[in-house]
Amino acid sequence: MAENVESKENQNGRHQEVGHKSLLQSDALYQYILETSVYPKEPEPMKELREITANHPWNIMTTSADEGQFLSMLLKLINAKNTMEIGVYTGYSLLATALALPHDGKILAMDINRENYELGLPVIKKAGVEHKIDFREGPALPVLDEMIQDGKYHGTFDFIFVDADKDNYINYHKRLIDLVKIGGVIGYDNTLWNGSVVAPPDAPLRKYVRYYRDFVLELNKALAADPRIEICQLPVGDGITLCRRLT
Amino acid sequence: MAENGEKAENQAGRHQEVGHKSLLQSDALYQYILETSVYPKEPESMKELREITAKHPWNIMTTSADEGQFLNMLLKLINAKNTMEIGVYTGYSLLATALALPHDGKILAMDINKENYELGLPVIQKAGVAHKIDFREGPALPVLDQMIADGKYHGTFDFIFVDADKDNYINYHKRLIDLVKVGGVIGYDNTLWNGSVVAPPDAPLRKYVRYYRDFVLELNKALAADPRIEICQLPVGDGITLCRRIS
Repeated sequence: MAENVESKENQNGRHQEVGHKSLLQSDALYQYILETSVYPKEPEPMKELREITANHPWNIMTTSADEGQFLSMLLKLINAKNTMEIGVYTGYSLLATALALPHDGKILAMDINRENYELGLPVIKKAGVEHKIDFREGPALPVLDEMIQDGKYHGTFDFIFVDADKDNYINYHKRLIDLVKIGGVIGYDNTLWNGSVVAPPDAPLRKYVRYYRDFVLELNKALAADPRIEICQLPVGDGITLCRRLT
Repeated sequence: MAENGEKAENQAGRHQEVGHKSLLQSDALYQYILETSVYPKEPESMKELREITAKHPWNIMTTSADEGQFLNMLLKLINAKNTMEIGVYTGYSLLATALALPHDGKILAMDINKENYELGLPVIQKAGVAHKIDFREGPALPVLDQMIADGKYHGTFDFIFVDADKDNYINYHKRLIDLVKVGGVIGYDNTLWNGSVVAPPDAPLRKYVRYYRDFVLELNKALAADPRIEICQLPVGDGITLCRRIS
């Protein structure tokens, strides 16, 4: 999904450039939030990682600074200690997570691309939190299936963040619902898919946006209908749906 | 601040009618969130209270359904038991809170207007959670000052929600920062003030929007600069800033 950084103008359905990508009524409002409440409080390592990532050709995939701040607060509020992340890219949300967990916190982080992770790893090391991360290169489903089979991992995760291939979210969900603890949270990223969830049928959408949109629409319906969770779909970043496991 | 429910058309800076008031890029996107993730999961009692409130002339003051759902989830995630609410109106966020707390949970709820509270009270009673609520009619500052002077209330609140007179938020904050526990959360509502925080100087704003805007802008700066809290400003509803006390 290689995308070059392009002009700020928002073509219909096109994800905007890093730092200007939001679901809000204006970019001005989004910048206000970033400049008033996010950037002044952003930890130095996160700023550094954000800047490194902004130079990368696939940078639209990165977690935004406001989302990083939200994840950080959420993790502290729920006293998370054992977490999982599916989809790492250069590690912005991974770093946010690692900074939020206690010294003995643990993160199982999976991504098909190790190179991108290694781009951000020096910053994570400098921040002194690399020891919390167990990075596995490769697709997540086989790892999840093995954990399910093993039997020892049921209900052992406080928080799981999914920011990966949208056509597999429903497949991830089938496993994660057992791996997250009761009362724990699964967060699915990009569930508002650049607002394209409400684009009219004739709207000019980029191919990948249109392709994955169906999966996102289906996921949203499935999560709302799942009696094992309570949900909350927040318009932070590209839309995060928090799912709290009930049973 | 009496406002009649009016057409959905959004004049610059004017709060829109109940159910269509958001900071998002389109009303269609907001409706999508409500219809996909909020309404299907909304408890019966909250639906009922929302409908009663929609008929009230001051209904733009009400907490929106997506915000109610978010508060409800947040309270469960932090295992809140002892909370406070400043600004009740007909009680939608109060009901969301009462439903989220355990059976022995407690809410100190303050509003200058008892009549509006009594409009929603029958629904709260029917839901079986009225016993958790201690409602005090009158301004909140004297109550807070008394609690501070008493000395027994420092750090006793898990969560405090402020949805009241914007020109007093900073004054509330000076007291609440001692009353909320370390690690607890204060939530300030309407901190994006209908997006007017970024309206150009010549934008046609309603008098009350323009008047309170300065207070909102000052509050946002003050919260970001306050070293005793970590903040997160979410574009839910009219903007909620969560403040986690760290010292």
